[in-house]
Amino acid sequence: MSENENIEDREELLSTKKVTISMGPQHPSAHGVLHLILEMQGEKILRAEPDIGYLHRGTEKIAENLLYHQFTPYTDRLDYMSAMSNNMAYVMAVEKALGIEGDIPDRAEYLRVIVAELARCASHLLGIGAWAVDMGALTAFLYCIREREMCLDLFEMISGARMTCSYMRVGGVRYDADQKFFDKVRDFVRILPEKLDEYNKLLTGNRIWIQRNRDIGAISAEDAINFGFTGPNLRASGVPWDIRKDTPYSVYDRFDFDVPVGEKGDCFDRYLLRMAEMRQSLRIIEQALDSMPDGPIAVDIPDVVPPAKDAIYDNMENLIHHFKYVSSGFTVPEGEVYSAIEGPKGILGVYILSDGTEKPYRLKLRVPSFVNLQVMDFLSKETYMADVVAILSSLDPVFGECDK
Amino acid sequence: MKEKKGSALSCLTDILNKAFFIDFAKGLKVTLGYNMSKIVTLNYPDREKWIPYQRWRGLHTLNRDPDGRELCVACELCSRACPTDCITVIPMEDDTGRGIADRVAKVWEIDLVRCLFCGFCQDACPTTAVRLGREYELACKDWSSTKRDRQQLLEEPEIPETLMGGVYKASFVFNKKEVKVVPDLTKKRKNFW
Repeated sequence: MSENENIEDREELLSTKKVTISMGPQHPSAHGVLHLILEMQGEKILRAEPDIGYLHRGTEKIAENLLYHQFTPYTDRLDYMSAMSNNMAYVMAVEKALGIEGDIPDRAEYLRVIVAELARCASHLLGIGAWAVDMGALTAFLYCIREREMCLDLFEMISGARMTCSYMRVGGVRYDADQKFFDKVRDFVRILPEKLDEYNKLLTGNRIWIQRNRDIGAISAEDAINFGFTGPNLRASGVPWDIRKDTPYSVYDRFDFDVPVGEKGDCFDRYLLRMAEMRQSLRIIEQALDSMPDGPIAVDIPDVVPPAKDAIYDNMENLIHHFKYVSSGFTVPEGEVYSAIEGPKGILGVYILSDGTEKPYRLKLRVPSFVNLQVMDFLSKETYMADVVAILSSLDPVFGECDK
Repeated sequence: MKEKKGSALSCLTDILNKAFFIDFAKGLKVTLGYNMSKIVTLNYPDREKWIPYQRWRGLHTLNRDPDGRELCVACELCSRACPTDCITVIPMEDDTGRGIADRVAKVWEIDLVRCLFCGFCQDACPTTAVRLGREYELACKDWSSTKRDRQQLLEEPEIPETLMGGVYKASFVFNKKEVKVVPDLTKKRKNFW
């Protein structure tokens, strides 16, 4: 009798109970401030629930209280890994609302494309680097950061800030680029492929990297579409959907580039795809540099773009335009627009509802990180704790953007 | 992205590669190669400092014209242009005999905690009085240091505007009064790329 009781006690001890643990927001591999609530049985995940909102700043509400041009610095703080892309998405939406999207000078468009593609490289480099360090490969992280530093250096040169660039303005760009900048970009285009080969040697063939990533978090093309995946994560599942190619905006239709796709949609495919995408970005940058046109950097509509700084010091008319622009902005015709770009993390859409005044009535941001993150539960079910880290890193969410 | 399957030879090479740790050896070759390469890191703050490029948007400066008169005419455009309302300008009548521009700022104060460093104030200024300078070491211990007033901003910036950005030799000053990195603007070295 007493023996049986002991056995029952022991079985109770041996059987694993359901445990709910919180991963983040202070966990070193919970990108940024993600709080993942994991329901686990032993090492197996039963349910993973992302708890977001720790970085909520009410960006959409702020936009309603600011003039159209004043909101640009706030878009830097969405996806702070690639501020240039966010700037581009926002100013393109406002230009569409104004009906001047066809009037933007070529030089401005080319500069925009160059910096947006540099931002894509910077974002992917950090994405892969942070992913590597989560998997324990600190060396790859440091190398990625070194190359990202070049990108940030270029941003500093052209816009005056490393991460919060605010480089673009409605109607064009804020600063012109000089030959020194173009030379540096060419250096970068030359250097980065060699460094990508180095990452290949460090990571792609490495058995630990392969075992931690291959067949982990695989998602089929159909599921990926149903979950609203965009960007590299969708293309890794084999869907060649890239709005730079399919519904070209800006001047992307003038460049020759490929849209790499993956096969299985697992973490390893997402990694390979980001590596391939950086090479395509470099191709675009190179073509843009080769065919860089001369000309103005902003559209010649005094309501939208104030006169150049040099012109206002000795001309009264220009000064009046300048005062008008700074103190009351410009009005946008009544109506609604939606405009999207292919950001580094996916489709970044901006929806503006205008009531005909200087401030948007409502501004909605369709941010890729937020949409991509909802797949966490689906992907991490029946996997192990260590795989959750790989899946999360492979989705590459940024919480400035996700929480808005 | 394609999986290697099939032939016995490729299976054998796979096994051999794994047995002799070829994949690790490849990675180690890269990392060991860097032992002999140039150092890319900056010896900051002890011996070197990064002076940003000329467009850098750092701490604001209020400028004077070549005769040493304040350029600011207190038109309040900067505070109007600011997305975060962090600039306070209170104008006053000037009695310094400056002539036609008889409006000057009594108070020109910036709240650096709210500031986005977007540079819209610089773009808005019709007299080139406001510039975003190249001072970026803005960490402080108390709230009073987060606000800068007119007198502080009117001081001559340490880095002249014509200086090109880059890595400069510097010395680290650390005492009870201040913690800062003083660059030696004559000694420049090439950046890592």
